[in-house]
Amino acid sequence: MKRFDIELTVGLFIIAGILCLGYLSVKLGRMEILGGKGYEVYALFSNTGGLKDGSSVVIAGVDVGRVKSITLDDYQARVLINVADGVELQEDAIASIKTKGLIGEKFIEITPGGSERIIPPGGRIRETQPPIDFEQVISKYVFGKVD
Amino acid sequence: MDVIRFYRKIFFFVLILAVASPVWAGVPTEKIRETTEKILSIVTDPDLKGAEKEGERRRLIREAVDERFDWKEMSQRALARHWRKLNDVQKQEFITLFGELLERTYLNRVEDYSGEQVTYMNEVIEGEYALVEVKILTTKGTEIPVNYKLRKKGGDWRVYDIAIEGVSLVNNYRVQFNDIITKSSYEELVKKLQEKVAEK
Repeated sequence: MKRFDIELTVGLFIIAGILCLGYLSVKLGRMEILGGKGYEVYALFSNTGGLKDGSSVVIAGVDVGRVKSITLDDYQARVLINVADGVELQEDAIASIKTKGLIGEKFIEITPGGSERIIPPGGRIRETQPPIDFEQVISKYVFGKVD
Repeated sequence: MDVIRFYRKIFFFVLILAVASPVWAGVPTEKIRETTEKILSIVTDPDLKGAEKEGERRRLIREAVDERFDWKEMSQRALARHWRKLNDVQKQEFITLFGELLERTYLNRVEDYSGEQVTYMNEVIEGEYALVEVKILTTKGTEIPVNYKLRKKGGDWRVYDIAIEGVSLVNNYRVQFNDIITKSSYEELVKKLQEKVAEK
């Protein structure tokens, strides 16, 4: 009888441990179970500079969505974004890819616009700004000074 | 019978041309080229050289730019959500002020023109929006990509944003204006802009 109690307790602990692990991986991996909420919009960038699936989308520094997928579309990056319900994006909103700190990860910042027209689910953020390629900018000035 | 068939053929040919030509002719690019050349002809005109001609030179450049740039759309996009809170008088005042600010900031650079080459690279038209990609080749040999974003209004293509090296002018001002308005007020922003425009 005593032996059975120990086995039961160990089993319960292991199950609790597995549940915690599952919760952690969903939270940390920013996975969505049951489809997730919000609606989708997309944007075309000439360069994503290392943006990844799951990168955050912010307005004024506040998380309002995630990058769902990045695919190549006519040699441009087509970024699918999941935006939280209740966040309206105006037609002239600008999506720009930024870097956290100097060498941090990439994220999308949306600066809201002033248009009366709102981008519908499945719509497109027309105005985009690729990340600044420091290497390219620097090399331009380096080579510019050669002659 | 043959005559009818012949005319029908011509009719279709003309129809195809009529449909295809607006895309094929690249109207937005032509508009940008027209304005660029107009400005360059003013800047390089020997009759307009010298400090005493500065006023006239600036007036002519401003005229050429006004024709192509949609200051209202630009102001609206730069002020973004704050734009809707303004009344018509304030809007008009802001459009003038923003135009003057850009004139002050960029006109000097235009006047520094020293034979940079402008190449027209690509054009994308989507409904009432168009993108014209231009490369400016400096005398030092550096290439600077400039994208003009245009919108068709009343049958004419007008510029509402410029991106240099991918950095958007409207977004630059939008972030700054939003900062100032959130920290203080719209009145404070107008005051700051007026000071900026007035300083020599």
